[in-house]
Amino acid sequence: MVLEFQKPRPIWQIMFSTHHTDIGLLYLILSLAFLFLGGSLALAIRAELFFPNIEGTGQIIADSMTFNRIFTVHGTTLIFLFIIPFASAVGNYFVPIMVRYKDMAYPKLNAIAFWMIPPAAVLVWLGFADFTWYAQPPYSIISAPGPAADMWIFGLKILGISSVLGAINFVVTILKCKHPDMSIGQVPLLAWSFLVTSCIIIVAIPTFAAALLMLLTDRLGLSGFFNPAMGGDPIAYSHLFWFTFHPEVYVLVLPAIGMMYEIIPRFSRKPIYSYNSGVFAFVLLAIVAFSSWAHHMFATGMSFTEKTVFMVGTLAAVPASAMHVFNFIATMWNGRIKFATPMMWAVGGMALFFAAGAGGVVNSAMPLDFSTHDSYWVVGHFHLFVMGTIAFASIGFVYYMFPYVTGRMYNETAGKAHFVLSFVGTVLVFFTQHVLGLYGMPRRVFDYPPIPEWIAMNQIASVGAMIIGTSMVIFLINMIYSSAKGELANIEDPFGLGGKYYYPFEAKNPHH
Amino acid sequence: MKRMIGLFLVLAVLVIIPAIDLAFAAGDEPGEYLDRRVIIWNLFFRLMAVAFTVGAVVSGTLIWLVWRFRESNPKAKPTPYEGTDW
Repeated sequence: MVLEFQKPRPIWQIMFSTHHTDIGLLYLILSLAFLFLGGSLALAIRAELFFPNIEGTGQIIADSMTFNRIFTVHGTTLIFLFIIPFASAVGNYFVPIMVRYKDMAYPKLNAIAFWMIPPAAVLVWLGFADFTWYAQPPYSIISAPGPAADMWIFGLKILGISSVLGAINFVVTILKCKHPDMSIGQVPLLAWSFLVTSCIIIVAIPTFAAALLMLLTDRLGLSGFFNPAMGGDPIAYSHLFWFTFHPEVYVLVLPAIGMMYEIIPRFSRKPIYSYNSGVFAFVLLAIVAFSSWAHHMFATGMSFTEKTVFMVGTLAAVPASAMHVFNFIATMWNGRIKFATPMMWAVGGMALFFAAGAGGVVNSAMPLDFSTHDSYWVVGHFHLFVMGTIAFASIGFVYYMFPYVTGRMYNETAGKAHFVLSFVGTVLVFFTQHVLGLYGMPRRVFDYPPIPEWIAMNQIASVGAMIIGTSMVIFLINMIYSSAKGELANIEDPFGLGGKYYYPFEAKNPHH
Repeated sequence: MKRMIGLFLVLAVLVIIPAIDLAFAAGDEPGEYLDRRVIIWNLFFRLMAVAFTVGAVVSGTLIWLVWRFRESNPKAKPTPYEGTDW
């Protein structure tokens, strides 16, 4: 591991490096910056929804168009500029070391994949499009204003290419560059999660790449694929979009589960209970990922048979997900668990993963989908996954990586306070949003009628969001202060767990 | 441990099979769903009962695990792997 802050180098050496830990560090800094930016947009959304707009009062954001722009960029940022780059940060740091190779297979390609992200982020943020992260046609074709929508399309195009380049690099590194003495069955589960995720990306992303091109030519008036006025079908876009982005859900969640597979055994002071079932569940989820995309469109007039197929395909994810949860529980059983900050985030993430999954089972039952479709239930459900599971595992992993990256220890008390506040805030926001959906509140609305139950639940959710925001301020201060002034870490065993690790952390790949 | 796994599997089957029956009992005629709100909400609350039951078991297990196997518990003892090259 590199100790960037202990032995500082000029920033340009890191920026123009092709070494895997340097690129990992760049990914890490970029993704955390966008976590804070995207999160601040979420706070703006929750502040707007704290009160309904009655006779001009309670309105914070100027108009509904601005509100739409804010939640579009919020979603785009946190999915494409926080979660995915953060996973790449972890993969870049750990995968070459886990497979005992000197670097990623294609170091220059790795650097190119990273440096495609900042210009894409600039396009998304300077454009500030308003058509949701889903780029909903026909609105996105006919009415979405000016260069903003086109900038978003180009930004996403660049991010897609970056993801595919990164995915190819991970697959080749793991399959072709692993140490000759290491069989694929000995590759740690975190690296397995990147292998499976990369395969999903390579299969899924090209479909959305095609859809984006079709969307752009539709906007330019050259074609009418999704434009009803020209004989096109917006539902076709939905199929293309969800064929990519339902598997993308697993692209987001599998590395997070891989991070839990790294943290939970380490802090339980035991090997993982069943390595093989972990691998099996990863592969099974990758297959199932492609058999459930149309459950997002139960309300679009599909036949009963089609809906049944996709409902069963969706439910097929339950056993595989349950295998992971069971594996974590069985690993902790009879362990001697140290509840340092990374472990608290991992266990909290596991609990919320189960809660989110239970909501998803109810959601996937097609008759119930009609009651919850496009309501706040859906918002609560997927946020419980992306915040409660993926962000929890990711933030836990930031604390886990911290001593390896900086050579110093973070403040443990502040880390635990960050966890407790975030956990309470997450439950308040997203559990409440489930109930709010059942009370009939639609998603993506700028304002709502002054129904007492809606007001109360929106205010609970907004207070929860402010609690999460407060915890993130603690996180930011802890990271900045501790990386400069924190106690020096014992790199061989920074968390005082004892014993030796099952792959050599002391193996520092030389810079080149 | 094996007994626990067996018990868990039996419980899982007992819970999942009735849930599947409930899901398919919702009717198979397109267009009926919105007219049959009572049946839909009945199904919803039954599935929520199933979800909360399974959730209570899993969450309860997790909370007990956290309490019982934390290193500060007086009964905690070193695992066989500590100090070894695992």
